[in-house]
Amino acid sequence: MITIEHLKKTFKKNKVEAVKDVSLEIFDGQIFALLGPNGAGKTTTMRMLSTLLTPTSGKIFFDGKELGENEEKIRSRIAFLTNEIRLDGQFTPDELADYYGGLYEMTSEKINERRDELFEYFGISEFRKRRYDTFSTGMKQKTSLAICLLHDPDTIIFDEPTNGLDILTQQLIESYLLKLKEEGKCIILSTHILDLVGRMADRVGIIVDGRSVFCGTVSELAPSQGVETIDQAFIKLYKENHEEKAIIGRHGKE
Amino acid sequence: MRGVGKIFHHEMKKIIKEKSLLFGFILLPVLTLFITVGISLLQPKTSGESVETYSIFFYGIDVESYNIGSLDDKQIWLQAVEEEPSEFICSEEFHKSDVLVDFSDLTHVTIYYHASNTISSYLKMSAESFVRESFDMSYKTQKRGEIFRSVELMDINEKDTSNRMIAMLLPYMLILPLTANIANFASDTIAGDKARGTFYQVMLSPVPPLSLIMGKIFSVSLISLFSSGIYIGLDVIGSKICEKAGVEDVFGFAGVSVTVGQVLLILLYAVLLCYLFSNLGVLISLFCKDANQAQTAQIPVTLLCTLASMMSMFRFGTSPLQHYLIPVYNICLIFQDLLNARAKMGNMAMVAISLLVLSVAVLILTLVSYKNEKVRT
Repeated sequence: MITIEHLKKTFKKNKVEAVKDVSLEIFDGQIFALLGPNGAGKTTTMRMLSTLLTPTSGKIFFDGKELGENEEKIRSRIAFLTNEIRLDGQFTPDELADYYGGLYEMTSEKINERRDELFEYFGISEFRKRRYDTFSTGMKQKTSLAICLLHDPDTIIFDEPTNGLDILTQQLIESYLLKLKEEGKCIILSTHILDLVGRMADRVGIIVDGRSVFCGTVSELAPSQGVETIDQAFIKLYKENHEEKAIIGRHGKE
Repeated sequence: MRGVGKIFHHEMKKIIKEKSLLFGFILLPVLTLFITVGISLLQPKTSGESVETYSIFFYGIDVESYNIGSLDDKQIWLQAVEEEPSEFICSEEFHKSDVLVDFSDLTHVTIYYHASNTISSYLKMSAESFVRESFDMSYKTQKRGEIFRSVELMDINEKDTSNRMIAMLLPYMLILPLTANIANFASDTIAGDKARGTFYQVMLSPVPPLSLIMGKIFSVSLISLFSSGIYIGLDVIGSKICEKAGVEDVFGFAGVSVTVGQVLLILLYAVLLCYLFSNLGVLISLFCKDANQAQTAQIPVTLLCTLASMMSMFRFGTSPLQHYLIPVYNICLIFQDLLNARAKMGNMAMVAISLLVLSVAVLILTLVSYKNEKVRT
């Protein structure tokens, strides 16, 4: 379980408050969708969750343990995948699995076992001896996902995981996320595809202008706003909470 | 230091697999070999023809310069010098055909000459006769026969001044490829990884920052040192080619005469220097968005280091203690001292410690910077 309390992030360089006040509760065995318009602070929040960025204030707890004190231990239980993260193009999926498995102190047997399972699932097995930089976008994303999940993490953070992928790859990734959910993993998704939220997520958090404005189950979202669909609820929450000031030059890509 | 070996191993494999990086450390030295050998072969043969006069230099007594005759249609001059004999015999003014008579201790006169050079050996005999005749005269006139006067003949080749050319050039020849290679490899190892998006995946792993940074520094150091070794090794091969062709190579390796101890000490200081440069390269690279930006940011460092090594080329004799406190320049002085067999233990220790202290300081700065938002976004 992940608890986020009054998270705030102000970038020192340009004094931009990317995240002003975000509080969320994310449970194991569920898919949590993080929603928000571009520049709302979703990626910055996810980067703080994955330990890439340090919060200016506020706290993040993983199973009751505060992030700041146990960063290295918590990192070994997290997987974070965004479109910006790539793998070394000179290496084959096999070599990459050996390297990243080693960084997570996995034994050779464990690496082989997980590699065979993930490569088989994502259809990488026949390309395991080919260089990563010769792969198509979809194959690269699948390989990144397999390598990212190699250490069998408890928490999986995905920033727009199916962005730019064909429908077959999207379905493959979605079904794997559902499999992980059944295994009791905690999955956090950032997406703009509200249809995906309706189909897959159990709970949803909405961030507008760096503040969390909703955190609850997907089924609660529309009724809580007095509307019928998730889309309508999202738009209503956005209009009610959006500061009129134009968000220009916000730090962090959304 | 958990994971440092894995990072190091991965980085080494990455460099070896990257053909564009391999160009920098294998193909360029080979091209340099062709250029240096080519230039050397174009040089006029230097078997004494360039010397227009022969000289017998005197140190310790005041004599007017005068012509005492000629040999092979070239004039022989007697000249007084003010420079210390140990420095003068290493200078460009003192040719292989010349002789230096050191009168600084009148009870023990030393004649420096090149035993391998016929002219120098002939002039040595003349100088020796001159000294003995002068002393005989002095003995007869001043009645100071009870003082023992000896004449020592010192073969300069045996005194190991043959390394003067390489001592002058080695700092420059080592520092230039070293800084250039480190700028190249260090830029790619972090800034290049950031641009490709591969750095974040490692940052997200449980490997401690110190291991990550050290793994990268070690790989940059080793590959840069190896590459610089190729440069120097190929130049030595080039010099041998030139020697066989009957010309002196432009880099002056032909006269190298070093002991295993000297080589090991030079290697030790090269390793220390390489480690410092790698630390610096990685620190700069950490703040850059891509390899090109990092390489541009490292140009001033490369230029400053090259300048320091070039300044050391025009230094003869011993340097004051404070010169050994100037970073980079001090290691150039140590390289020269080691090759000229005049290195002092105190100076060597001071330079080694200063290099280590600087490296640790840069490493600490790198670790602090690793947490910086600019590095992580």
